[in-house]
Amino acid sequence: MLSARRLYTTASSASSVITPTHSIYLSTSTNPYFNLSFEDWLFRHAPQKEPLLLLYRDAPCVVIGRNQNPWKEVNFRAARAQSIPWVRRRSGGGTVYHDLGNTNFSIHVPRTTFDRGATAQVVLRAVRALGIDADVNERNDICVGGEKASGSAYKIASGRAYHHGTMLITTRLETLGDLLRVGKDTMITKGVASVRSPVCNLAQFSERVSHDTFVNAVVDSFKAEYGVYDEPCIVNDTDDLARIGYIQRGMAELPSWDWAFGQTPEFEYTIKKSFVWGDVTAHIHARHGVILSCTLQGLDSELGKALEGKRYGFVEDEELGVDMSGREEVVWAWLKEEMSSYD
Amino acid sequence: MLIRPLRRLLTRSTAVSHFHTFPPCLSSRRILQNFKLADIGEGITECEVIKWNVKELDIIQSFDPLCEVQSDKASVEITSPFDGVVKEILVKEGEVAKVGQGLCVIEVDEELLDSGSAEQTEPASSAVPAPSPIISNSKFVEDDASRTEQIREEPFAPRRLHPMDPNYLSPSTPNVNPENVLAKPSVRHYARQSKVDLALLLSGSGRDGRIERKDIDAFLSHQASSVLLDSGSAAQRAQAEQDVIVELGRTRYGMWKAMTQSLEIPHFGYSTSLDLTSLHSLLPTLNSHIPEHFNPSKSSSLPINPSALHPAPSPPPVPESAQFTRLTYLPILLKTLAKAMMAWPVLRSSITPGSANGGSKPTLTIRPHADIAIALSTTTGLYTPVIPHADTHSIYSLSSQLKHLSFLGRQVPCALTTNEMPKRGATVTVSNVGAIGDGEYAHPVLVPGGGVAIVAIGRARWVWDVSKSDRGERRLKIGVSWSADHRVLEGAELAAFVESWRAYVEAPERLIGEGI
Repeated sequence: MLSARRLYTTASSASSVITPTHSIYLSTSTNPYFNLSFEDWLFRHAPQKEPLLLLYRDAPCVVIGRNQNPWKEVNFRAARAQSIPWVRRRSGGGTVYHDLGNTNFSIHVPRTTFDRGATAQVVLRAVRALGIDADVNERNDICVGGEKASGSAYKIASGRAYHHGTMLITTRLETLGDLLRVGKDTMITKGVASVRSPVCNLAQFSERVSHDTFVNAVVDSFKAEYGVYDEPCIVNDTDDLARIGYIQRGMAELPSWDWAFGQTPEFEYTIKKSFVWGDVTAHIHARHGVILSCTLQGLDSELGKALEGKRYGFVEDEELGVDMSGREEVVWAWLKEEMSSYD
Repeated sequence: MLIRPLRRLLTRSTAVSHFHTFPPCLSSRRILQNFKLADIGEGITECEVIKWNVKELDIIQSFDPLCEVQSDKASVEITSPFDGVVKEILVKEGEVAKVGQGLCVIEVDEELLDSGSAEQTEPASSAVPAPSPIISNSKFVEDDASRTEQIREEPFAPRRLHPMDPNYLSPSTPNVNPENVLAKPSVRHYARQSKVDLALLLSGSGRDGRIERKDIDAFLSHQASSVLLDSGSAAQRAQAEQDVIVELGRTRYGMWKAMTQSLEIPHFGYSTSLDLTSLHSLLPTLNSHIPEHFNPSKSSSLPINPSALHPAPSPPPVPESAQFTRLTYLPILLKTLAKAMMAWPVLRSSITPGSANGGSKPTLTIRPHADIAIALSTTTGLYTPVIPHADTHSIYSLSSQLKHLSFLGRQVPCALTTNEMPKRGATVTVSNVGAIGDGEYAHPVLVPGGGVAIVAIGRARWVWDVSKSDRGERRLKIGVSWSADHRVLEGAELAAFVESWRAYVEAPERLIGEGI
């Protein structure tokens, strides 16, 4: 049973900025925007020399890496159908699916002592302490019997670095598969592609494992590794803490178009469709979520030019200002469907 | 567990290394600095540039966000190492940069580069290269003993050296780098003119060890005088070979007499080490809150004036010799010692003068307060001024008194009077030998009138402690060696007293409960 205290922060003398003072935080909020913003606040404001641990769970959502292409990674239609949001996080790496059967850990350390292998070992020891024969693969992911139970990502900024990751305990793996299956092979992105692997839940290997037992094990392992004796501090998005400007701004930024879509790296998407009058091939070139160019072969039209400068996946019919005659209308309907973000 | 190699030194482009040979004109020249992608460790050889936070012709300052790069699963934020203007972006967003490849070109002021690196570098006096400027390898219990001209210390809150800074050093590279010597550009210029290699001076008399013009002059005259000695006459050399008889000065003779008398005191010793780790983490907070009357240079920048309605009570002003800007462990050790002394009346006792004469039974006089004497080693001799009623003073007040006493002691002739060194002395003496040498054990000597016990405090150092946990942990420890008068104290009593002291030192938060 974990004992914990209410949040306690101090105001430093130099300014009236509130800074975190604990070494271990547990968030009971399942709002991914809050959890990611809180994590970022801890990252930027905790004492630089001290190691810090944060554990949290999110309500179902898809989380893509900092520099990924959501159109390539997220199955928007499936997500829309199940009312599951997707979020772009601040650390690098690939796409993961979060739900309440998945527990996220985040270990923050000074940049100069950051060692991915060491932080992965902290979590591995916790999993092993629960009686599961797990291992770490060459990408520092925790696996059991050749299947991934955890995915990791890192963020490094001046002075500080963190390793955070997921741990599948009782996640709905079939939902995970649906949402992350996109199949847009003809979309070529400059960003980081996800490395797909077969996954498994820890619950498959032990009856003891649950969010709470996993959290306790990670807390113990973290304390042992870094010589920390603090008791965990429990946080929720309804606390006063959540009103800190930095966290509020973060929570507002994450779902904004500029962050979610506007951070998409350059990509090119080539699609082809057969219409009654012939084939049409569209070659779309976009960057930062905005269409740079769209060339159409098989249709003589101003449609391609009209799309330049528009937000990919968010173009309204009225915006085009092009006279839609029969063929153009059909082609536009097809393009619109292909680009759709279902938002 | 594999220890990953730390970042290698960022190489500077050749355009900059020429500044050492510039003609002596001090007009600021602009230099184009090629900022390269440093090795971010983890065996990564290339990164993709995800985002630039600046564009060409933007003005940037050190530590401003410059760009974000991505390497497999890691997203890295890179900040600017210089103040300057972004001249050219070499790797665009979406492109891949190899480690060592230039990311952008920044135009920098040559003088700014010089003084910038002077401010961003560790003072060369720290002999142990720090892996990160924030982690300190050893701290000293500071005593303003005048014997040491240059107090070896790390600046308390060092200006962090940017990891991308060309002067940033990892432990694998040797620390002796002339660019690490602190000096203003005008001083460097003077050194060049005088043909003095700054690396030979290592540190100077200015703030944080900065070399000033007068240090260069002193160095030159020292060189001149040593040259003179070498070329001395044969007669002088002959004289240097003979035995020389020297008379003891007044203070040294005083020490002689006192120590001869001390032979009648049966000493016993007791040594241990105290764990300063808790104090170490307290020190930054205490330092940032030194009361204004002790540290007037640090003015409070409150937008609202607490004295707007009515003047807030202000303590009496303090002479400059008693002002300090930095708190060290010694005043805290004295405070905790005073607390322990209050709990142990025998440590507040002294042999009643005259009571042991003529064969009658001696008596002990117990004082209501803790009087602690500090051993002060100065150019004029060894003194033991007293801090009376140390238990009634706050840690800041003790620090102020220490500063003042050492100021008086450093004056030539010595400015310490019977005011500071009353006849009845103190009951416990503290000798901060750690400021002088990194000894491990000492056997200090009690003199008549010096009290019932004396403690020598060593030098704080970080050690790996396996006594509390299997894994072990890093703790800051300091050795303390006691000698006590066995006519008054028992061994067990002293040991128990030292444990009382330790209980304050290792759990300083108790001071809050007791209202200090």
